[in-house]
Amino acid sequence: MSQQSQILTRRLDKDILEVFIGPQHPGSGHMRIILRVDGDIIVEAEPDIGFVHRTMEKLAEGREWVKNQPLFERMAILDAANCTLGYIMAIEKLLGIEPPPRAKYIRTILAELNRIASHLYGMGIFAILLGHSTMYMWFFGDREVFVELAERLTGQRLTHSFFWPGGVRRDLPSGFKDELEKGIKYFEKRLKEYEVMFLKNPVIRSRLEGVGYISRQKAAELGIVGPNIRASGIRHDVRIEEPYAAYPELDFEVPIYKEGDALARTLQRVDELRESLKILRQAVNRIPEGPILHERYLKMFTKVLKDVLETEKRVKLAPALFNLRPPKGEAYARVEAGRGEYFYYVVSDGQNKPYRVRVVSPSFRNSIVFKYVLPGHRVADLPAIYGSIDYFPPEADR
Amino acid sequence: MAIVERLVDLILWPPLFYYIIFPGLIFVMIFEIFLIWSERKIAGRVQMRYGPLEIAPRLAGAPQLLADLIRYALQEVIIPRTVDKLPFVIAPIAAFVIALMPLIVTPFSPTFLPVTTEGSILIAAALTTIPPLLLILAGWASNNKFSLVGSARESFLIATYEIIILLVIASMSFLYGTLDFLKAVEVQQALLWGILLNPIAAITYFVAVMMGTSRFPFEIAEAESEIVMGAFTEYSGIMFGLAMGISYARMFVYNIIFVLLFLGGWSPLGGIVTGNYILDSIILPGASVAIKAVLISLLMVFTRAVYGRYRIDHALKGGWGFWFIMALVSIGLSAAVVYLMEVF
Repeated sequence: MSQQSQILTRRLDKDILEVFIGPQHPGSGHMRIILRVDGDIIVEAEPDIGFVHRTMEKLAEGREWVKNQPLFERMAILDAANCTLGYIMAIEKLLGIEPPPRAKYIRTILAELNRIASHLYGMGIFAILLGHSTMYMWFFGDREVFVELAERLTGQRLTHSFFWPGGVRRDLPSGFKDELEKGIKYFEKRLKEYEVMFLKNPVIRSRLEGVGYISRQKAAELGIVGPNIRASGIRHDVRIEEPYAAYPELDFEVPIYKEGDALARTLQRVDELRESLKILRQAVNRIPEGPILHERYLKMFTKVLKDVLETEKRVKLAPALFNLRPPKGEAYARVEAGRGEYFYYVVSDGQNKPYRVRVVSPSFRNSIVFKYVLPGHRVADLPAIYGSIDYFPPEADR
Repeated sequence: MAIVERLVDLILWPPLFYYIIFPGLIFVMIFEIFLIWSERKIAGRVQMRYGPLEIAPRLAGAPQLLADLIRYALQEVIIPRTVDKLPFVIAPIAAFVIALMPLIVTPFSPTFLPVTTEGSILIAAALTTIPPLLLILAGWASNNKFSLVGSARESFLIATYEIIILLVIASMSFLYGTLDFLKAVEVQQALLWGILLNPIAAITYFVAVMMGTSRFPFEIAEAESEIVMGAFTEYSGIMFGLAMGISYARMFVYNIIFVLLFLGGWSPLGGIVTGNYILDSIILPGASVAIKAVLISLLMVFTRAVYGRYRIDHALKGGWGFWFIMALVSIGLSAAVVYLMEVF
């Protein structure tokens, strides 16, 4: 048998056109969707992912435990805090420690800042896919508020590498509370403007209403996560199901929509933005005093390190912290990130490097939507569905 | 000095002046530079950003398009091996040239017009219908799926907006009782501007032109996030620049027709008499027509900042289900106005 005959070929039905959307397409992102269209109607869609696969799980086995944090941030660089928090929590479970309450609150604040930034990023892309350039600029412009707040808190705009097994690396900076309040007030005003410009825009509504409908049952069958499943009427949110950080002490709701179409997913995200503002406000007001790192590590600090922590309110990185050796065992952690549930499963063999790290990212779970929801829609509905799912290829490919 | 005089004579020779300078090629280029710059500036203001700025910051980035055009001109024109070469090359060039051709019958003043004909409205309307056919040709010749889809969309849209535009133009010539732009403007000067005589026709024409020239929310045939660049996906270099300019050139021509049919042509400034022939017969009336056309065009491009993009079936449904009926209604309204004019 010759080499060539092993290539899979497939005969197309008569009158079916095969269109490759991506990976070099202005509306595809780092992925390819193979569409088979009959006229203007999609009869078959195949999401072809993996164009930005970076073997992260394997790379993680070759680095010290905490050095994997900058690596995992690269999955969803715009949601860096949420997507690494799970890893840190899994390590903490292995180590058998809990961060002090103040650190939990700071984690929550950064996680929510990231959630807002992530939602705004996704919606900005969504807007430009629908051809709405103004909302694209507005979403991205207003995202800057939260990116800058995160920078004030962590020193980095996007890749914060802020969490530490047993705590966080910096205390709240002075004046952060007022700045956050200012940012929240500004954003609440802007949310009203979004409504006029985007959510109630007749053209946008006509593009979204009834498009990409995922029923409650279908959503459960496909196993999608995050705002997408909540927009189909299932209240699935790790922050409620398996509370972590400071979420159990905060008072917030998880909005859901029953419609399950692209419009519901959009409104869902906007409602979640509102809830995130609520959480931020509560967290920054209720934050308790105390240390920001677990006492086990504070004990190991030399005088210089303690001085830096006292005066500058930041944890200077001690070499001992890099050489963590969690006891043998395995642990998992779940975190609700902007796009849905992150699942981390780590195995330790007692060495200073993980034996195995398994990551299941929300975008990977959501990518199945393309295969089962696109058929039956028009080609022009592809951007509406793609954008409303808020699919982020680097996150799915890992 | 004789050579200079000859050159000046040649430049001011009416046919040459009309086709090349005003309102022909050079004027249209200046118009496009201004319009695209202001479109980007207005959108930038709405969108919390500067818009073009880097090229000549003192002029607020006004020569940006000029710089882009120079870049396009110096870029290689890639003609893919699989395309049908002759139509591929001809289509955008011919579309651009023919898009400007209705200007040969649109008067810019009572005396400043190259071709005097009784049927100028008819000729202009007929000529505006040709460029979209060449866009379809470009998409077909490109041998690219996205181009093909773009062409198919364009052909669906043509069937919708061309009929609406032609019906509205018919209703206005019915109202004015003439197929000549000159007489149409005379009637408006004697009576009222067309937009007041038949507002339904004006609005319908406006929307149909937006549909015809790929303005938001009807930017469907070139929807970037769906079909890359529609019929022009395979074009590069100056051919791409030309292709980008076609819709603006068409919009300009359509809006000149709009001004002549609905906004009283050279109405406010055309009546001023200063005694200078060139000022009276070319500059003042020409400027008033051109400025009105620019304002209408700005209104059309501003929608980019407000709307997204319709789906093709929505646009077709709107076109056939609402605006087509409005076009028929506008004919009825014209009949009513004519009847009222007869009575009083």
